Amino acid sequence: MAIKLTGGEIYDPAHKIDGKTKDLFVVDGKIRKSLSDNDKLETTYDLNDCIVMAGAIDLHTHIGGGKVNIARTMMLEDEHQHPHPGSDILRSGNGRIVPSTFSAGYRYAEMGYTACFEPAVLPVNARQAHMELADTPMVDKGGYALLGNDDFLLNMIREGATQNAINDYVAWLLDATQCIGIKVVNAGGIHAFKYNQRRLDVDEMGPAGSKPRDIIATLSRAVHDLGIAHPLHVHASNLGVPGNFATTLATMAAADGLPIHLTHIQFHSYGTEGDYKFSSAACEIAEAINNNKNVSADVGQIMFGQTITTSGDTMMQYFGHDHASPKKWTVMDIECEAGCGVIPFKYRDKSFVNALQWAIGLEIFLQVNDPWRIFLTTDHPNGAPFTSYPHLIKLLMNRSFRNDVFKIVHEGAQHASNLASMDREYSLYEIAIMTRAAPAKILGLTNHGHLGEGANANITVYRKQDDIEQMFAKPAYVFKDGTLIVKDGKIVETVQGTTHVVKPEFDRAIEKPLKKYFDDYQTISLNNFKISNDEMIECIGSEIEVHPSISNT
Amino acid sequence: MQFENVTCPHCGLLCDDLSVNVTDLTVKLADSAHPCAKFFENASIESNTIPTPQISGKSVSEDRALEKAAEILRDAKQPLINGLITDIQTCRDAMAITEKLGGVIDHANGESIRNNGAVMQRIGKVKTTLSEVRNRADCIVIFGSKLSGKFPRLFERILLPKKTLGNKNVDNKKIYILDISTDGTFRIESGENNISRIFFDFPLLESIVYRLQEIIYKSAKNISTIDENTQCLLDLYETISNSQYTTLIWNSSEFNQDSAEQTIQAITESIKYLMQKIRCVGLPLGSSKGEMTANQVATWQTGVPLPVAFMTGTPVHDPARNDGMKMLANNEADCLLWIANYHSEDEPPNTNIPNIVLGHPNMNANNATVFIPCGVPGVDHRGLACRADNVATLPLPKLRNSHLPNANELLRKLKELV
Repeated sequence: MAIKLTGGEIYDPAHKIDGKTKDLFVVDGKIRKSLSDNDKLETTYDLNDCIVMAGAIDLHTHIGGGKVNIARTMMLEDEHQHPHPGSDILRSGNGRIVPSTFSAGYRYAEMGYTACFEPAVLPVNARQAHMELADTPMVDKGGYALLGNDDFLLNMIREGATQNAINDYVAWLLDATQCIGIKVVNAGGIHAFKYNQRRLDVDEMGPAGSKPRDIIATLSRAVHDLGIAHPLHVHASNLGVPGNFATTLATMAAADGLPIHLTHIQFHSYGTEGDYKFSSAACEIAEAINNNKNVSADVGQIMFGQTITTSGDTMMQYFGHDHASPKKWTVMDIECEAGCGVIPFKYRDKSFVNALQWAIGLEIFLQVNDPWRIFLTTDHPNGAPFTSYPHLIKLLMNRSFRNDVFKIVHEGAQHASNLASMDREYSLYEIAIMTRAAPAKILGLTNHGHLGEGANANITVYRKQDDIEQMFAKPAYVFKDGTLIVKDGKIVETVQGTTHVVKPEFDRAIEKPLKKYFDDYQTISLNNFKISNDEMIECIGSEIEVHPSISNT
Repeated sequence: MQFENVTCPHCGLLCDDLSVNVTDLTVKLADSAHPCAKFFENASIESNTIPTPQISGKSVSEDRALEKAAEILRDAKQPLINGLITDIQTCRDAMAITEKLGGVIDHANGESIRNNGAVMQRIGKVKTTLSEVRNRADCIVIFGSKLSGKFPRLFERILLPKKTLGNKNVDNKKIYILDISTDGTFRIESGENNISRIFFDFPLLESIVYRLQEIIYKSAKNISTIDENTQCLLDLYETISNSQYTTLIWNSSEFNQDSAEQTIQAITESIKYLMQKIRCVGLPLGSSKGEMTANQVATWQTGVPLPVAFMTGTPVHDPARNDGMKMLANNEADCLLWIANYHSEDEPPNTNIPNIVLGHPNMNANNATVFIPCGVPGVDHRGLACRADNVATLPLPKLRNSHLPNANELLRKLKELV
């Protein structure tokens, strides 16, 4: 059975198609340029006056795992204030800021997203993260395993383990946790916080006997050597601290030219100028990204209003706990591996700092020249819930709208930012790059994020509207692997999605020291720590798709 | 046949270093003196006769039992799904059928975890996990002396391990078990491994918590009366202040239940106050019957913790109205679906309303309207369970081929019938 999408304006940056009107065909869940004689056309969709893009991909959204459940528990009021009734095909749920799993999947699909990636999978919590993702329908998913604060790796670095041995450990961990990438959060800092250290700079020796720079260099080398498509995903040190842009530049340099992805970089782009000793360093950060082709970043844009911050960065979450709103906060040390901090936060447009944070995010978007290396995120829910993406797209595409909003924020922040002078307006083509083609490319999802022959038929169709926010909020059609799942912004059929993983080869001998480590120190056995492929399907509830390693030689 | 690294789901520690021998349908730990041996033996079906579904005590086919169960559930105006002493997948399917029925779902011990949850909702928490305690804690303070009974291997596996990642302070950690004396005298019993059992001349266990909080908040010079109880707590505060990683441990069931929430809040506030200068963390230990497992599933699937009510069409958390056991006691439910397949003793509470039991194969459920014996997670089928620290999720293996039905599959069939 085949379907035809005819008359739509196609935006497919992977094939350099910028608004050309052409037909697409879908056969057995895959995109085809044309039909063969054997294909029977079942349905034709007339897409005159419509824009067609691949399904969107969110490469950084906290939607699964223990910290999200802590956030849900702490935001009970928000859960109850935003109930989501079920239906014959939908499960019910709650929440706007940290929605329940089913609701999160539905909301993403309703916005035309077809894949989402949880960026902070604690290895020991990976089963729960995958179960939550398995209970997040409609979209494909995947996770980045947290490393860089685990005692095993820190001990290896301190003891001078070879890069090959570290590569084996990283590959083993990816296999054991069923993840697609490696994330490091405040390298060495979460570990140092367990020793009551309240700050750790990039070149400062931590209690584990290593510096954050060494950890980042070692892990970015491992990710590169193993042929993992996604660069080391780095939450840099000193999140939220005025003046931290220098740390961020040092973190970029730590990768020594190897690919590195700096996440929620807005929170790491602060200077110390001005009366408030808090200023924008977006220009310096954007310039560094522009000049270093090995660097990519997602922004972590904030939006005004109530949200909750969920992070593995116990050190910096504790640092920020005084700003909790409402006044409650949770921090947690976890299993000699990592940690988490969960703090509700209300970004206020009349606050100088918050207003400038908002402007800094947009300044970065507008000053990074290459949309293939800057990604549209709010670090959901830390900057704002993911449901604010259509609003963010409008801010990027419509200068007068952006400046109208800017005029009502804290006046001091307006003076401290050059946002109003920035003329750039993102095009639909650039939006398609940063929300589709680029995330697929940087994650190694070769069949996603584009509309070429053989791609998975993840397709989002928007009806052209003057209000770009409304257009992106409510697609006319969304297809997931060829199945029509959303029509006029409403879900018409539910699908499950798969979990994307990588499994680079490694020397099984690494299990010998690992077994000793688990036997001597851990409270779970090595065998039970590992999640097998069949456990993913039978117990956790998700099929997996294994992506091959790439050649980096 | 012998299985290694088997997980024990019978307390919240989820120890997974067990060796289990299985012969036909008999299950035994390799070490019969092991503290968890009796739990595993409970799964044995000695006669090799698989128990069959029953309606009012009479054997029927599974299909007939399911039809009857569906009839009861369809007729109910206020169904209650309770027990939930089971694995994650069964909890997932229990949530699904509760939603379809518009019922209320809760765990049998739901009340025991609500105090900690309420404090997290109100002020948050500072928490740690088992491996962190095992490797980093150099000072451990336990409120109440009954933890060992609920968590038989707590000291062996977590508090006094053979090796740690820590320094000599961790290897020689100090452990204080605080309780009240029954004879009106204050005393300290010092034992091996730096364990001190301190019995305070206080009326309630929570008095210790509040007195310690007062000392933490004030300096010694501002404490009005310094008797031996207070002096002991002042000394303990001094020790905590000089330690690298103090862990406060409690089980909320040891506190007066009417005020347990306030007591846990006082502990949490004390930790947060101490955190301004030193590292101090909490480890609430509960989940002796899989409460954490059920609560985690409910929270991620609905956004709210147990109990969850679906009467309005969306999930609502209102523990004052929807506590499962209180609903039963107050005759507020007109049908009970009880799910408990870890242990035969987890029988449903006595009730006069129609009740359906998806239970352990050795459970005595003669009074149930419908009883369907199910496989035991971790014995008859694979499963997953959440540990008491709410972080680690462990796999439960399949050890034998009993052909007992899996409770989650029964729930899916039942959902189709209602």
